[in-house]
Amino acid sequence: MSDSKKTASVNTGAKAEKKHRLSYEKRKGLYGYGFIALWALGTIYFFLMPLVVSLIYSFNETKVQPGGMEMKYIGFKNYVNAFRKDQDYSLALVDMLKNTALRTPLIIIFSIFIALVLNQKFKGRTFARAVFFLPVIIATGPVMDIINGNMSTGGYSGGSEQFSTMFEANLVDQLLNFLGIYNISDRLSSIINSLTTDIFNLVWNSGIQILLILAALQGISPASKEAAQMEGATSWEFFWKITLPTISPMILASVVYTVVDSFVDPANKVMTIVLNKSTNWDHGYSAAMAWAYFLIIGVCLAIIVAILNKVIYYEVE
Amino acid sequence: MATKKEEKQFEKERKAAIKAREKRMKEIGLEKFLTPEQIKYNRRQKVIGAVWPVFRFLILFGLCFIILYPLIFMLSTAFRPSEQMNDPSIIWIPKNFTLDNVKQTWGVMKFDKTLVNTIILNLVASILQVATCSITGYGFARFKFKGKNLLFGIVIMMIIVPPQITTIPLYMQYAYPPKFLASLLTLGKSTSLINSPWTMYLPALFANGIRAGLFIFIFRQFFRGLPKELEDAAYLDGCSPLYTYVKIMIPNARQSFLTVFLFSIVWYWNDYYVSSSFFTNNDTVALMLKNLNTNLIQQLFDGQSVSVRQIIVWLEAGCLLSITPILIMYVFLQRYFVEGIEKSGLAN
Repeated sequence: MSDSKKTASVNTGAKAEKKHRLSYEKRKGLYGYGFIALWALGTIYFFLMPLVVSLIYSFNETKVQPGGMEMKYIGFKNYVNAFRKDQDYSLALVDMLKNTALRTPLIIIFSIFIALVLNQKFKGRTFARAVFFLPVIIATGPVMDIINGNMSTGGYSGGSEQFSTMFEANLVDQLLNFLGIYNISDRLSSIINSLTTDIFNLVWNSGIQILLILAALQGISPASKEAAQMEGATSWEFFWKITLPTISPMILASVVYTVVDSFVDPANKVMTIVLNKSTNWDHGYSAAMAWAYFLIIGVCLAIIVAILNKVIYYEVE
Repeated sequence: MATKKEEKQFEKERKAAIKAREKRMKEIGLEKFLTPEQIKYNRRQKVIGAVWPVFRFLILFGLCFIILYPLIFMLSTAFRPSEQMNDPSIIWIPKNFTLDNVKQTWGVMKFDKTLVNTIILNLVASILQVATCSITGYGFARFKFKGKNLLFGIVIMMIIVPPQITTIPLYMQYAYPPKFLASLLTLGKSTSLINSPWTMYLPALFANGIRAGLFIFIFRQFFRGLPKELEDAAYLDGCSPLYTYVKIMIPNARQSFLTVFLFSIVWYWNDYYVSSSFFTNNDTVALMLKNLNTNLIQQLFDGQSVSVRQIIVWLEAGCLLSITPILIMYVFLQRYFVEGIEKSGLAN
């Protein structure tokens, strides 16, 4: 008797607790709104409003007046002009997409490789890591413009001339000629040339990606490596069967970061065209261009994420 | 717990023991202990173990050289007299060193004033940004409320949308803000916020500064990785969520706060696009460097057109000046960049 009474009282106690908990959950939800309130206010004023206004600009012919912007509605004309009449815009757009499609896999493979190497134990690892993350703090700044400028306008400026001759494709040419191979050297040297000149950009643009993948690599327990060695797995097998699936979510993040980074970079051609238009006070037109560009980025990213999501391995918690 | 020294000692002893055992096994004959496949596997591992470190050193050395190359070049040219740029006999080390380039560039960039201005701007904006982004990230990580996914979608949008889209409308907002706000923030001096540091502080204060979306995302990932028991204990003791956040979560998240703070400083330091849109005479180091070419030509060459190789020593000196402060910070706090990111929850 007393036992059943006890359980009953426990039951009602649990019910009361549940009820109390529900309201508690609700209260917690309100606190959640409180925590993000500041951000929500800011986002409305500093992000969403400007976004909508620029969308409105893109459907208008704009004129800057003291005290505001004077607008005349012209429908889709700005968009049509951008794709039909502007000679540079579509070309730059295609160029940009091609470039990104070529460079992203290179950067990702390179970052995975370097992250794997930097994850091993060896003397001077701290130094090597510090050097490889150096681009993270420098590459986004205007210093990069001057560095890049020096590289390309090298000419007589001493060291940079040396840099470009160091990887001179003629060496490859001469080697091939020496071996008696003549015909393919032109094609080959141009490919090698583009690769070697790109090595600089490759290394300087993969700082963050290396950081992300290295962070993911730290999540693989040393025990699994030991177990694999006990079973006689080679490092090659270990990489494909264990490492790659484990870090695949981070690879997705790096891919997205790389794509966004190359699209948003103020130095890229499309961005330059857009910015030029807006410094010429043609804000409506430039907004239309920027929006078309952004929509293309969005579609590209959605496709990439959808494809990669199929092969990614998520640990079930 | 064994100390690091002891651990090293253990490792040494373990390796010695393995070696001794192998030797004994060899004396008796390996075939008695291992299958042929095992012998083959062991031999292969040994070869890889011998060759790989050399290979690794070569790769890392080469790539480190590529990364450090511009910095070495900077050091080499910044202290070189301009005439010696055309001397073909000089590759790295100039015949004599001079501080003139650096001094002249310092003058052109008004570096003392600019530096102080930039540091104040960076510190205030970064501190505000880290504080508000962490609060927002915590809200997204630990509370359930309606429309959370939609709102978080906006955070993702903030990462993806290029700032160039919103710059012009933002400029209009800053140029013609509500009157009371402008007079409050600029102490009645002006009706527009353009050129006032508030164009940087205001968005940071509302978790919308430079790359704020990314920071909110990082903080959310981090707070999600912390054990829930931490807060539950505090709630049981009757603490309010805000109090719990300040007293329990912040001390636990110190490392990731520092990492994000460092990133924030770096990105504010390097930013020239956003600041050039809202500042016309409020100078930061990045803006000064961006305009250094023009300023140098005006002040040192009387506006004549000059080629890159004539002006390069001053440009490189300017680069050196502008990365030195951030480089010093990096050298001292480098391990937080590297080890901090591992613990900051990005790993999950």
